[in-house]
Amino acid sequence: MSETINRRGSLRRLAARLEIRMLGLALVVFVTLSLASPFFLQTNNLLNLLDQSVVTGIVSAGMSFVILTGGIDLSVGSVLGVTAVLMGLAMPHAGILGGVFVAIAAGAGIGLFSGVLVARFGLASFVVTLGVMAIGRSLAYIFSGQNSISDLPPGFNDLVYTPILGIPSNVATLLVLYVLAWLYLTFTKGGRTIYAIGSNREAARAAGLNVLAYSILPYIVSGALAAVAGVLLSAQILSIDPLAGTALELDAIAAVVIGGASLAGGRGSIIGTLIGVMIMVMIRNGLNLLGVSPFWQGSAIGAIIIAAVLAERLVSTRTGGG
Amino acid sequence: MAGAAAAKAAALSPSPLLEARGIEKRFGQTHALAGADFDLAGGEVHGLLGANGAGKSTLSRVISGHVRRDGGTLLWRGAAFDPSGPREALAAGIGMVMQETSLAPDLSVLENIFLPDLARPGWLRRGTWRARAEDILAILGQTSSLPLAVEVRRLSAAQRQLVEIAKALAVDAALIIFDEPTASLSPSEVERLFDVMARLRAAGHGLVFVSHRLEEVLAITDRVTVMREGRTVALGLATARLSQADIVRLMVGQELGRIHNARATMDTAAPVLTVRGLAAAPLVRDVSFTLHRGEILGLGGLVGAGRSETLETLFGLRAKTAGDIHLHGRPFAARHPAQAIRAGIAFVPEDRRGQSIVPDFSVRENLLLGHLSAHRGFGLGYRAREARVKALLETLELPQERLLDANMLNFSGGMQQKIILARWLLLGPKVLLLDEPTKGVDIGTRAAIYAMLRDAADAGTAILVVSSDFEELLGLCARIVVISDGTTSAEMASAVLDEAKLTLFAAPRSSMAATTRLLGELAEETGGAAFWALRDGGRLFCLARAGGAGEADPGFATGATPLFSETRIAAALGAAAGEAQARFIAEPDGGPHTLLIPVRSHRGHDFGVIGVSVARPPLPDAAAIARRVGDLVTRQM
Repeated sequence: MSETINRRGSLRRLAARLEIRMLGLALVVFVTLSLASPFFLQTNNLLNLLDQSVVTGIVSAGMSFVILTGGIDLSVGSVLGVTAVLMGLAMPHAGILGGVFVAIAAGAGIGLFSGVLVARFGLASFVVTLGVMAIGRSLAYIFSGQNSISDLPPGFNDLVYTPILGIPSNVATLLVLYVLAWLYLTFTKGGRTIYAIGSNREAARAAGLNVLAYSILPYIVSGALAAVAGVLLSAQILSIDPLAGTALELDAIAAVVIGGASLAGGRGSIIGTLIGVMIMVMIRNGLNLLGVSPFWQGSAIGAIIIAAVLAERLVSTRTGGG
Repeated sequence: MAGAAAAKAAALSPSPLLEARGIEKRFGQTHALAGADFDLAGGEVHGLLGANGAGKSTLSRVISGHVRRDGGTLLWRGAAFDPSGPREALAAGIGMVMQETSLAPDLSVLENIFLPDLARPGWLRRGTWRARAEDILAILGQTSSLPLAVEVRRLSAAQRQLVEIAKALAVDAALIIFDEPTASLSPSEVERLFDVMARLRAAGHGLVFVSHRLEEVLAITDRVTVMREGRTVALGLATARLSQADIVRLMVGQELGRIHNARATMDTAAPVLTVRGLAAAPLVRDVSFTLHRGEILGLGGLVGAGRSETLETLFGLRAKTAGDIHLHGRPFAARHPAQAIRAGIAFVPEDRRGQSIVPDFSVRENLLLGHLSAHRGFGLGYRAREARVKALLETLELPQERLLDANMLNFSGGMQQKIILARWLLLGPKVLLLDEPTKGVDIGTRAAIYAMLRDAADAGTAILVVSSDFEELLGLCARIVVISDGTTSAEMASAVLDEAKLTLFAAPRSSMAATTRLLGELAEETGGAAFWALRDGGRLFCLARAGGAGEADPGFATGATPLFSETRIAAALGAAAGEAQARFIAEPDGGPHTLLIPVRSHRGHDFGVIGVSVARPPLPDAAAIARRVGDLVTRQM
């Protein structure tokens, strides 16, 4: 008797975990699309899904860090664009790895700039990153001379498609970054400090945590990961467009929110974000397979985002879990 | 105005305004109300008491429509009443003055008073509002204390409360619930609030007074209802026939030993923290004290005197603008809390929800938050603390299972405070700073917190406690430092103090600057000492002193509390007061000649004496000095 109660209790605890609920939602989307389109389950398409989730996924991981502190980073898309352009300009002189290094360093530097303005000078992250978004895109045009850069070394492409343990290296990069992010946010002082800041900044300060440093760090992570995503995107298509990454911030924010994070900070998980990314990518992919007009896709995705978050809110208020 | 008339009618009728029987309310697993009874007549102040979690807040919120009951009957003016929300309750004439005010800070006082009017269709009638607001303030006897055009964010806590009360009256509320209304008020503001409440009672309103402060309950209420574990254990007892001990017994359900008894022993040879002339603009001006190993030192004073800010400065949350701090004999100034924590200082802030609790963290992580900031590694290092956490939970009598993974917000204020205290005790601090450690904590848990603090002090921790509850300070601390207007006004043994004297030292004195100036002038002109002191029971309480080195030294400094015989001017102090002509009195043993001039306010309140001591004749003109003291009183007091 008491054992059944215990088992029911642990089941309930499991269901109360947000990641589990979102995983359930992802499964529902997966099954629905499998039934709706005969092409969805084909190996090629599944590989395609993974491939498509790399860029959004990596940017969303960085976005999770920022949102966990209660901030937001609107500049990720244009940071991706401008760092990719810088990489393209550097690559003929510095080689492939040199170019990659330039991009990531530039991304981290831009993140540091936004982070200092937000954390040290108390400006609203929305406003700061909105400004950086505009500046980044404008610089991407100026540096690239309004043209795509396509004279990239052919070996650059290997960065994406060399298999590691049978997995394409861009997907492997995505998974490794998520594992590292999860370990960092769950098992390190810095990770827990980021959560504490988002949950109650004053309490974190009064407990002596380094609020300034760990309020800046997420912006650096976000900028650097946007650059990493830009590297992989450029390597994938062997061309760099100054327009690359446009509107990517919206997909990233949507993925984080679908993954259960609170925009007020302190609540959310990196696993949830990954699930959110998968849901977003599956829906986009499924709508394409079903031949839905691209003009309607925006409405469909917007409606699904709102519905997912609303359903989550209704469920979590009823079970009292978060 | 119809409602006010009805309220008066209700006061005359014998039937109660409100009657609640067997009210039930569940929140998830918690049975917050399990058969609560209550009634209220017009023209009375009814105290609603209980330990934290007893259900008094839930019951008030059921009555005010903020919470919907699950069961039981509620009669309002004899008719069944089931408000669907606070608006409906308000429309029926039930208002609530909340602990945390529900005002819109950016709107003006007038707009806030008539906020419910915004829900009505049609144009706003500001002219009518203003006239009605003035009527209401006149009823409250507060005509000049509320500027109607000012935004609420610029008001003091007491003024905001007044706005809340006016807001309730604006909708003709016949019943007003006051939920812990005095928590952030100074004694004089409490007096004014009680004056307002008495006027409302006289006008036939029924008032519910929810409070932890027993003295206040005894002072203002006509009847009390006591709750325990969601049930009413005593319904409508006449306050006049109860003592504090009776109420405490009903609240906790058992006889408590005297809450304050043994005092921690301190090691006067081992000063841990020495503070001299500390200032942190704008509130901390000149604070000095010494804290010893194993001591519990009280930091008394009124809200706004700079007590919290003093603690925050010591802990590195606020920048020091002047003064010296020595920790273990070495100069110390924390620029941020992490530095203070590494030096062995811990700080429990006043606002638990705002400054201590991380709501999205489990109890375990909240408990380990101090550890996390003291921890130097990259990882968490939680495991290394596991045994210590376990031992600590045991001594705190906290249930270990399930507690650690639970949400912090599910617990009562007292439990939360124990956990926050445990967060810091876990680090084994050398100095523990506490700001209002028992605010919003029930009496039973208070005793446990006092015991925790004494144990920590016995183990050698030096503890500094800020509290507005003077009785608590006197019971807990062997010595008390009093701060008034950001300046140390006294440092003395609590054995010679009582609440009245502590209040005297703590009272911010607008006259202090002028008085100090006069003392300085007198000291310089006479070449002797000038002081302002109170006399009580053969003891002198020196509020301020200037000048008087060497032979003119009267034998006490600012903040000292010597017996008359311990000073150098015993004969003068002992001489019969009230002599028609003020004159200098010589000490038989060749001590200084001293003139004492009584200070009385124009209302006749005793403000002590101003004294001048000179080493030897020629004596200054006593009458001239008396005249100047008289001038000071007319201008300043």
